[in-house]
Amino acid sequence: MRPAENIEKLIKNLSDKTRAKMDERVRKNMLQALAESEKPSALTWPKIRKIIMKNPITKLAAAAVIIIGVTLSVTIWDKTTSKAYALEQTIQASHSVRYLHIKSFMKGMEEPKEFWIEFDKQGGIKNIRAHMPEWESPSDGAKVVIWQQGKAKIWFKKKNSLVTVKDKRFSEKLSASVQLFDPKLAVPRFIELEKHGLAKIEIEEPSNKAEPIITTATYSPESKQFGVPVDRTILFVDQTTKLITSMESYSLAEGSEYELIDWIEFYDYNQQIDPAMFVFDNLPSDIMQIDQTTQDIGLEQENLSEEEIALKVVREFYEAVIAKDYTKAGRIYGNIPASRIEEMFKELKIVRIISIDEPKPHPIPGVGGFMVPCKLEIEKDGIKSVFEPYGPAVRAVYGQPNRWNIHGGVK
Amino acid sequence: MLEDKLLVVKCRRGNKEAMCRIYDKHKDYLLTLSKGLLGEQATAEDVVHDVFVSFARSAGQFQLKGSLRAYLATCVINLARDKIRARTRQAQVLDSMNPDTLRSDNPAQNLIESEEITQLRQALTKIPYEQREVVMLHLKAGMKFREIARLQGVSLSTTHGRYRYGLDKLRSLLNSEVKE
Repeated sequence: MRPAENIEKLIKNLSDKTRAKMDERVRKNMLQALAESEKPSALTWPKIRKIIMKNPITKLAAAAVIIIGVTLSVTIWDKTTSKAYALEQTIQASHSVRYLHIKSFMKGMEEPKEFWIEFDKQGGIKNIRAHMPEWESPSDGAKVVIWQQGKAKIWFKKKNSLVTVKDKRFSEKLSASVQLFDPKLAVPRFIELEKHGLAKIEIEEPSNKAEPIITTATYSPESKQFGVPVDRTILFVDQTTKLITSMESYSLAEGSEYELIDWIEFYDYNQQIDPAMFVFDNLPSDIMQIDQTTQDIGLEQENLSEEEIALKVVREFYEAVIAKDYTKAGRIYGNIPASRIEEMFKELKIVRIISIDEPKPHPIPGVGGFMVPCKLEIEKDGIKSVFEPYGPAVRAVYGQPNRWNIHGGVK
Repeated sequence: MLEDKLLVVKCRRGNKEAMCRIYDKHKDYLLTLSKGLLGEQATAEDVVHDVFVSFARSAGQFQLKGSLRAYLATCVINLARDKIRARTRQAQVLDSMNPDTLRSDNPAQNLIESEEITQLRQALTKIPYEQREVVMLHLKAGMKFREIARLQGVSLSTTHGRYRYGLDKLRSLLNSEVKE
C-alpha cells in the first residue's frame, strides 16, 4: 500500500517545463497585447472627435473642458513636482551602503553582467567580483574578474587561463564602469545635469507605499557633449529605504519614442558578501597562470615610437614562431607558456612573413594600442597559401608601461 | 516578492523585458499547475498562454496586492474551471480521456518522466475536479485550506474533506485497488 505521504511528495515534485514553441507563441501574443494596452484608442479617437466636434454646442463645451483640464493639469503637475521625496534622500541612503550586488542587463542579451561590490568606510571600492558573459567580449569568452587593492585576477574560462594584472588603466576602466551604477555617484550626476539645464527630472511618488518611486531624468540633446550616453534614465526607488532597486537607460529612437537599451537591478543592499567571493577557489587544476605583476612580458619599448614598437612586436613574434622559439613567442604574446604556443601553431605552419603594414589605432574604444595588419605565407598539408591573421592587436603591458605585447588573437 | 512588484510596475509602463521576465519566472510553475488540473498538455498550455496574454492586456491598470505568483495561479484556476465546464458541456467525460493525451508531447520530458509520475497524472484526471483542485492548490500552489475554501466558495471542513477524499482516491487508483 502506497502511503499518502508519498503521494503528497510526488505531487509536490511534479514539474513541467514549457516548450520552445509555446514560449515563442506566448511571448509574441503577450507582447502584442502589452503594446496594444499602451495605446488607449488611437484608431477610434480621431473618428469620435470628428463626430463630436461637428456640433457647435459640444465645441463650446469642449473649450470649457480644455480650460478646466489645463487648470487641473497644472494643479496635478504642481502636486507631483512638490516632491515629498527628493533625490538627496537616495544619495544620503546610498552613503551607508557597504555591500552591493548588481545585475546589468543589455537588451537582447539573456545573461546579465553581474557584480558584487564591497565598499570601504569612506565609500571607496574595496573589492569587486565581476561575472562577464561571453557576449561582452566574444573573443575572450566568459570571464570572472576579482579586483582587490588595484590588483585584478581575470579568469578566462574559454582560454582556461588566469591572468593577474596590476595596472592603473585597468583599475580605472573597472572603477569607471562601477561608478556608472554606484548610486551615490550616479544620483548626484542627475542633479548636476538638472542644475545646468541638461536634464529634466520628474518624480512620481505613488500613494501605495509598496510601489517604488519613479524618477525620470530626460536629457537634452546638448547633454551628449558632456558625455551623457543615453537620452533618458529611469530610477525605481524603494519608498521605505529610499535606495534604488532598478535603473533603466533609454535612447531616443526614430519617431520620438524612448527605447529601453539596458537596465540594472540592485540586490542585497548591505548584506555582507562572503569574503570567499573575492578569492578564486574553484579553478581547474590545469589552468594556465600568467602573472603580469611579477614577470617581464613582451618587448621593451626603449626609444622607439609607439607605432615602431607595435610593428617590432608583431615581426619578432612571427619570427620567433617560424624559428620555433616558442619561449620568446610566448613572452611576446602575454607570457603564454611555450607549450601552449607550440600547440597553437602545430597545424598552422608559418613559412615566412610576406609583409607587415602600418599599425592602426585599435578600432574598439577603450582597448588602446594598435592593430598591425600583416600577411604570412603558410603551409598546410603541403599546400602554400597567404594568410592574413585577425589583428594582431598590440598594446603596452598592464602594469609595465614600457613593455609592449600582443593581446587577443594571432591566427 | 519585491522583484515581482518592481516588474509589475515596469510592465504597467509598457516595459517588454519586464513582461518577459515575469513569464520566464512563473511559466513552468503555472504549466505544472495547469496540467495537474486539466491533464492535457495542449489545453494546459492554452490556459497559461491565455493567462499571460490577459495579464499583458490589463498590465496598464494592474495593481498588485499580495503575491504575483498567487494571483497568476488564481487566474490559471479560473481558466481551468472554464475549460472543464466547456469540456463537460461537450460531453467529453474525463474518465474516457485517452491516456496517451496525458503524456507530454515534449520528448525530452517524456524521457525523464518516470512511470510513477505518468500514473499519477492519469490518476489525477480520474478524481472529481473539486478534489483535484484542492489537492493541486494545496500541494503544488502551496495555498492554505482557508484560501482554497474561499476560492471554491465552500466551508473549511468541506475543503479538508475534499483533500482527504482526493488523496484517498489517488492512493487507491495508484495501488490499483479501484475496480474500473
